[in-house]
Amino acid sequence: MRPGMLVPVVVLGFAMAAYGDVTTERSSSILVFPRVLSDATGVQTRAPVDTVIQISNTSNSMVFAHCYYVNASPADPSRPPSVFNPPQWQEVDFDIRLTKQQPTHWVVSQGRRDDASDRACTRTYRECNGAGFDPGMIPPVPDPFVGELKCIEVDATGAPINGNHLKGEATLVTPDGDVSKYNAVGILGLNTATNSNDGDTFLCLGNAPADVCPGGAEYNACPQTLVLNGFAEGASDPVVEAFGNGPSAVFTELSLVPCSQDYENQAPASVVVQFKIINEFEELFSASTTVTCWSSFRLSQVARVFEEGFVGSRFVQTQMRAATPEYAGVIGVAEEFHVQAGLAPGETVVGRAALNLLVDGERPNGDVIRLIEVFQ
Amino acid sequence: MMRRRRVVRWAGGLVAGMAVAGVFAGGASGPAGAQVASDRVGAIVVFPKIVVDTQALTTRGRSDTLVRIANVSNEAISIKCFYVNANGHCSNAPTRVCTPGAPAGPDNPCGPGAICIPGWQEADFTVNITAGQPVAWLASEGAVACEEVVGTDLPCFPLGGTAPGSPNNNGGSRVPPVSEDPFVGQLKCLAVDRNDVPVERNALKGDAEIIRSDEGLIDVLAYNAIGIPAIAGTNDRDNVLVLGGEAAEYGACPNVLIMDHFFDGARDPVSGLEVTSDLTLVPCTEDFLTQAPVTTTVQFLVYNEFEQRFSTSRPVTCFQEFRISTIDTASPDRSIFSAAVAGTLTGQTRMRGVATDDVGIGHTLLGVAEEFRVGGGGAAFNLHFHGTRPQSDYIYLP
Repeated sequence: MRPGMLVPVVVLGFAMAAYGDVTTERSSSILVFPRVLSDATGVQTRAPVDTVIQISNTSNSMVFAHCYYVNASPADPSRPPSVFNPPQWQEVDFDIRLTKQQPTHWVVSQGRRDDASDRACTRTYRECNGAGFDPGMIPPVPDPFVGELKCIEVDATGAPINGNHLKGEATLVTPDGDVSKYNAVGILGLNTATNSNDGDTFLCLGNAPADVCPGGAEYNACPQTLVLNGFAEGASDPVVEAFGNGPSAVFTELSLVPCSQDYENQAPASVVVQFKIINEFEELFSASTTVTCWSSFRLSQVARVFEEGFVGSRFVQTQMRAATPEYAGVIGVAEEFHVQAGLAPGETVVGRAALNLLVDGERPNGDVIRLIEVFQ
Repeated sequence: MMRRRRVVRWAGGLVAGMAVAGVFAGGASGPAGAQVASDRVGAIVVFPKIVVDTQALTTRGRSDTLVRIANVSNEAISIKCFYVNANGHCSNAPTRVCTPGAPAGPDNPCGPGAICIPGWQEADFTVNITAGQPVAWLASEGAVACEEVVGTDLPCFPLGGTAPGSPNNNGGSRVPPVSEDPFVGQLKCLAVDRNDVPVERNALKGDAEIIRSDEGLIDVLAYNAIGIPAIAGTNDRDNVLVLGGEAAEYGACPNVLIMDHFFDGARDPVSGLEVTSDLTLVPCTEDFLTQAPVTTTVQFLVYNEFEQRFSTSRPVTCFQEFRISTIDTASPDRSIFSAAVAGTLTGQTRMRGVATDDVGIGHTLLGVAEEFRVGGGGAAFNLHFHGTRPQSDYIYLP
């Protein structure tokens, strides 16, 4: 059970403000995949799953990017995370390069080798996973892996630039072929024509502190508020029920990552996230939890207010933000699990669907991503 | 030929509407250069694909669409919604639903000698949403006040009341079921005041879940509705909504849509199952007043992982869904969207509606993609957007 608590909602003041500046549908300079899972046995993810990453260069020029995996699986991956089995928060990084308009992909459990002898797909040869220009040497992740992937556009020397040439998607695939897919969260670089990025190892998102960002913002700010429109925990799926295939239940898992990160010191950022929940009767509830480095949890693990039996309606709107401006911003993605009866007595089947969160507003305090020095 | 559209103003609504606009002007947060987005609130939300087939008459299987809309503001809001029924019907049996262009079979049951005639029929309704309230309905069933459906498990409006128009309840809300089953089409909802006059309120968020459920099987495909933001201080409150361009009242639709996808017939590297993708496109310009469907030629540029480029084009009228490997040919294994032809597993496709000289019609597009594992499940995902164009798009309201 994650730390959660109820707080009076009146003090929160979630006023919807101007637009946030991260995006899930425009080419960007930083791509964040908040939910990357690879677990052959399902020990950390409840069911076996793997992730296919797709990244494209949307420009007519060669594009380079430096990518970071953050492994948040616990120190003993055979047991659930706990105080005595803390997450590793282990970072591994690598480079990719994409020719003009080139799409690429890899399976995170397999990585992708730089192998020019990969055969192209034909009508008779379909085992062509490596076909195409290899984007670089992409390492496989350990098993199990739960965490995030972040890719930062750089120039040929490895210095960060504000190109806004990258787009990405992640597909979560189970061995039996159930899939859910989301768009990577993009952080736009500012002033792409003049490239205001100073190319150092501090990436300044929005109104970041002047001591590390003397030149001001290099990238857009993280959003003030994230909005999820979904089912209350444990609510029934109305389609399944209408078709007579019940009983059914829907659960939502939320993956959140802080916008600020320090890869140089491997120091995980912590954010207290406040949740404001509105049910169909316009009644307000609230809860909070702490997100350190990367966190993925069912909403009901935060607080009972997310459960249908408590909140009193099947659908809820949830707004999330850092508790105070001093905390880092957060970005994330949600995945719904729809459970219904299986063919055998007592058996259940699960359908999964990922949803990008809606973003709103702009954080007054910026965020900083600190890269490792060798990157410079 | 140059065509000018008739602009019909709502008599009597203008003055009252302007007063209401003053109340809500502060709520519009669309910045200059606002663009449509599926990850931000909007004054118009577009659901490009709504599917219903409760009897499993089509190849999609037994499915329904759950529509969810939330008011993210602290004030009540009314929305005017338009379903567009894009079902085709058999020339020899006008009540029989078919999919234009589909091969003979469950999707095209017209039989020899008959053709599937495309159709586009609009139906609209109003929903009143209280502050911060999420509402939802099944496309097959619609929604009414919960007190009217006691004993059922269907989504409904819980805040009833007998006074339509009260900001504290959903009174006056009634969502009709889609007009046919099976059904395929789109849904568009826009923020209005209590007189059905469009208002500049970027307070709507929507998403849709296409849910396929059968004995021992469930598959959920979810996507975010595309939000079109209102631009503060520009709405003239008539029934012609201007999207983008010099006289924009709402954000501009994208110049180019971008889709990253598996090529059809590719083997999923995790499950080993074959992958296919469906693409649904709808034009940004729509004429609900005269029910005149807009036809746009769409240019497709397709890049494989070798940076090799292919291209094709296809006219799209009002609403179009297609398996990507049937965009350019009736033989999917010979398509440029086929893995066997493209040579790699994944590709990037850029789509652009071709502009014409007709100033009354924009030719930009919106859409959503679905990805299926043959014998497995599927997922929907939103397309990427790139740029805008100087021409406006228009939504003509009845």
